[in-house]
Amino acid sequence: MAVDESDRNYEHPLYSMPGLSVAATSVDKLLTWGATNSLWVFAMATSCCGIELMATAASRVDADRMGTIIRGTPRQCDVMVVAGTITVKMAPRVLKLWEQMPEPKWCIAMGSCAISGDFYRDIYSVIPGIDTAIPVDVYIPGCPPNPEQLMAGLIRLQEKVRAVRGGEWAPKDERPETEAMQKTAPSIPRLLSAERSPDVTLAQLLGAGNLGLGGALNRAADAPPLAAPQETSDAITTQAPTETSEGAVESPSEDEHADA
Amino acid sequence: MPTPEEFRALLEDDFGVSEWSEKQPPLIEAVDHHRLAEVLKERGYTLYVFVVASHRPGVEGAEDALTAAGYIELATGLRSPTENSQLAIWRVRVGLDEQLATLVDLFAGADWQEREQFDLVGVRFAGHPDPRRLMLPEDWEGHPLRRDYAINTPHPPWR
Amino acid sequence: MSASSAARPSSAAPASAARLGVDPHRDLSDYDPEADLMVLNMGPQHPSTHGVFRLKLHLDGETIVRAVPYVGYLHRGVEKLLEELTFVQATPIVDKNDYVSPMTNEQAINMAFEALLGIEVPRRARYMRTLFAEMQRIASHLLWLSTFGIDMGGALGGGTTLFMHCFREREWILDLFELVTGARFHYNTHTIGGNRHDIPAGWAKQVHTTLDLIASRIDEYLELSTTNSIFVARTRGVGILPKELALELGITGPILRASGVDHDLRRDAPFHAYDEIEVKVQTEPDGDCLSRALVRVREMKESIRLSKLLVDGIPEGPICGARPIKNPTQFKAKEGQAYVALETPRGELGTYVIGGGKNKAASPYRLKIRPPSLHALSALPYLLPGHSISDTVVILGSLDPIMGEADR
Repeated sequence: MAVDESDRNYEHPLYSMPGLSVAATSVDKLLTWGATNSLWVFAMATSCCGIELMATAASRVDADRMGTIIRGTPRQCDVMVVAGTITVKMAPRVLKLWEQMPEPKWCIAMGSCAISGDFYRDIYSVIPGIDTAIPVDVYIPGCPPNPEQLMAGLIRLQEKVRAVRGGEWAPKDERPETEAMQKTAPSIPRLLSAERSPDVTLAQLLGAGNLGLGGALNRAADAPPLAAPQETSDAITTQAPTETSEGAVESPSEDEHADA
Repeated sequence: MPTPEEFRALLEDDFGVSEWSEKQPPLIEAVDHHRLAEVLKERGYTLYVFVVASHRPGVEGAEDALTAAGYIELATGLRSPTENSQLAIWRVRVGLDEQLATLVDLFAGADWQEREQFDLVGVRFAGHPDPRRLMLPEDWEGHPLRRDYAINTPHPPWR
Repeated sequence: MSASSAARPSSAAPASAARLGVDPHRDLSDYDPEADLMVLNMGPQHPSTHGVFRLKLHLDGETIVRAVPYVGYLHRGVEKLLEELTFVQATPIVDKNDYVSPMTNEQAINMAFEALLGIEVPRRARYMRTLFAEMQRIASHLLWLSTFGIDMGGALGGGTTLFMHCFREREWILDLFELVTGARFHYNTHTIGGNRHDIPAGWAKQVHTTLDLIASRIDEYLELSTTNSIFVARTRGVGILPKELALELGITGPILRASGVDHDLRRDAPFHAYDEIEVKVQTEPDGDCLSRALVRVREMKESIRLSKLLVDGIPEGPICGARPIKNPTQFKAKEGQAYVALETPRGELGTYVIGGGKNKAASPYRLKIRPPSLHALSALPYLLPGHSISDTVVILGSLDPIMGEADR
């Protein structure tokens, strides 16, 4: 049930067959060729990016020509493209759908909402990036990214799949934690972060498993204690509850929005 | 065809509105809320447009009891689907613990709109057939659009 | 088959249920015990729900006896966020509400702020806004037609035929917008008092060329759909929305006009440049899915006509009536309330704004966006009972909901 992060280097069953190592290499090349050129997409399309995802599948850009077909059910798909804002109400469903996808599977975070929450990241109902719940392989920035950008992201994923199956891929070094990055860290640490508590992952999985009961029951009953949310110091935070506060307007948010 | 003059005359004669401002819709008593909607529907305002509630927190030392304790101001809009598309907007004020008569029996569209305002602002409607939250999960605590609700309130384990 | 055929309001139903024929909160405990009742969940992730929308269907065999919609899976707290930001920062946020027609969203919020702040928009900017709105309407209806083609399945010659064709035309309009604003999708081109980007030289000629091409294609699609017996059989008489119910629910736009109400804010409460041009309002008397489809396709043709008129008639002059924005707190409103509505592709998009908020009154105290999609979705409990499961997707598609706007 759980997402095992250490198992990213998928090993094909052919590897374990004795005496076939030479033949298996050739067969594996064929399988890799097949896997990379038939990445079927499960469109986890919630908002604006979903329209660009549709445009990517439509006539002008035509993702079909590289074997990428959008399917309606997670059980037939290799790639989940998370396109759009994921809310607290939707997140357990996304996790549940991710678990229904067969291994090997990959995830693309499309657009700034799926990457970090964008300007909704501080809002009570939005989760700050889908990689706080499921592992992401390729990030495609933009609000929304153009169809061409999504195609570039899919090609990046093909390269990654090739490298993973060829045994060349290794995760990048931990990026240096600058002060600016610490400021914008989400209240729930990301999946690969050292600060993330396993309790959070467990609670998320329980929440995805018991959709009918809601998260509160899991929390209230015998669920393990959650990690305390980190202190974030954003411009919006400091002025939230009171009427009289000032100073938030000098924040650089206007520039970000102009780019968006 | 309804006209603005007719709406003004109705409020002045039957609902005791004396203050008129170009910047704000007229304010009527909360007990008259349902009756006004009923009268307006008979007079041709048959298109249900919106309801918007806004939370005003209590002000210490205010003379008015409602202002001192804090209240919710509710504006409702009805439209006549005629040539001039006349819009009638009025406001009412209800205390934080009080209930306001629902308009669901007059306008079926008020069902979801009032649920949304209950969900986000916390105004309660008496006689609503389905008083559940609309936008947020059922187990949510608090009403986000109240002034004392911080925008970045955490909701473990998701944010 | 009509929506009221399965109407059996229970004794506890409110008076409105008896009046409207269908009780949306129908209690099924007294339903025929011999019947094989079943609950089918549809969504929130479903290719045909047009976003994250959940529908709980109570079925008797294949017939729906009660439908319970759930919204809020895309509730992003936009209204709370806009209370924190200032007036000039709001435009790029509301782009993302109705992400199929961002132009009209920008217009709606800026018109509300202009009404609250008392700022005049120059004539050239008003023409440009109207032109953008009409072209956006074509693009939005094209996207609706493409997804409706998918919803109809094979009725239009293969599931994705119409989808592929309509997206090709939609891309042309997005290209035209890209020439003006530099953005394909979320434009951020409107500002308080006017527009930020002027139209480039030679743009009007390109608009004419593109719209002529699209006009010929739309005739093709109209013929393709109305002469297709499967399309007509699956839409005629399906999902009938009576006029009175549509008004009560607050449904506006093409859905209301397809139910026989001759109401269009572009003509009845003119804004921008609509008081200088004549809009021919398209109506249909029946209120079924076919009527809604026909109204939208005809509106596209009408929008093409209006766009050509407008692009030729754009006057010279300034494009913004307010001082250039130097800092985010430039505009302030200490008090006052304003409600401004305009006709978007989905109906009446209203903005209710109360002044006197944070940042020394440079933010709204409360801002409510009146979403036409949410009102349209609230018709589902009335439309679906009595129909079979296969009609669900057609009825839902004919309402053209956009969840970003409905949930905000």
